[in-house]
Amino acid sequence: MGVISLRLENSELKRIDDLSIQENKGRSAVARELIQQGWQFRMLKQYRDGKLSLEGLAKTLDLSVGETIDLLAELGIESPIEYEDYLKGFEVLTDK
Amino acid sequence: MKVVFGSSTLILLAKVNLLREASDEFEIIVPEEVKREALVKKTADAELISILIKERKISVQKADEVKAVKKLQVDFRIQKGEAEALWLSRKYHYTIAIDDGPSIRASKVLGLRFLTAIHFLFYMASRNKLSSALAQEKLTKLVQYGRYNKRIIEDAMKRLEEGRK
Repeated sequence: MGVISLRLENSELKRIDDLSIQENKGRSAVARELIQQGWQFRMLKQYRDGKLSLEGLAKTLDLSVGETIDLLAELGIESPIEYEDYLKGFEVLTDK
Repeated sequence: MKVVFGSSTLILLAKVNLLREASDEFEIIVPEEVKREALVKKTADAELISILIKERKISVQKADEVKAVKKLQVDFRIQKGEAEALWLSRKYHYTIAIDDGPSIRASKVLGLRFLTAIHFLFYMASRNKLSSALAQEKLTKLVQYGRYNKRIIEDAMKRLEEGRK
């Protein structure tokens, strides 16, 4: 595990302390969890915006594609499939 | 119809227990990387996919032009399995089944014919492979896992009620 020193705003330090008390964990553990959750949030947002593929999301979150689908369903994150794409699929079926 | 599957649609159909029915109606092909991703963890959906491969209801095909696959990955910011599915679709004129935004965008740019998981449900309902009640139940599950937008869900429910595809 590496070590870095960084300056935090007082409000940020307070949040870490509050969580540390609430969850009975050390400051470092709480800070690591927040960084991990912040990372996940950013990746999920990129996926939702269509900037990251499902496999890409799975890879960055270190999950299988199936687990990623479960997570997206649990969080209710909408698929970036557009209505137009959905309609296009029916044209393919009509040709079958 | 020969359809090459990305892991998204493959796993979605497995999760809602429609993959076996789909394999009766379509010739399902998966790229090697998609197979690897789908089976990486021992889950119920992975088990179903594994069985269907063993039963030869799903065939596995190699995307053998590594450079071309890599280029698709870079050009469309997608991963290997998705790129292999696109490559096979383009090379062999297979329809591609994909429930993924960037891969659908790539399919449109490349002029590929694509389907998503919800289309398989409609196809099977329209061929009376599923009763109306079962189709509604499958749609509810698919909405949960597929997380389609409101407009798609409303249209899908209406289509099922009206019995059209």
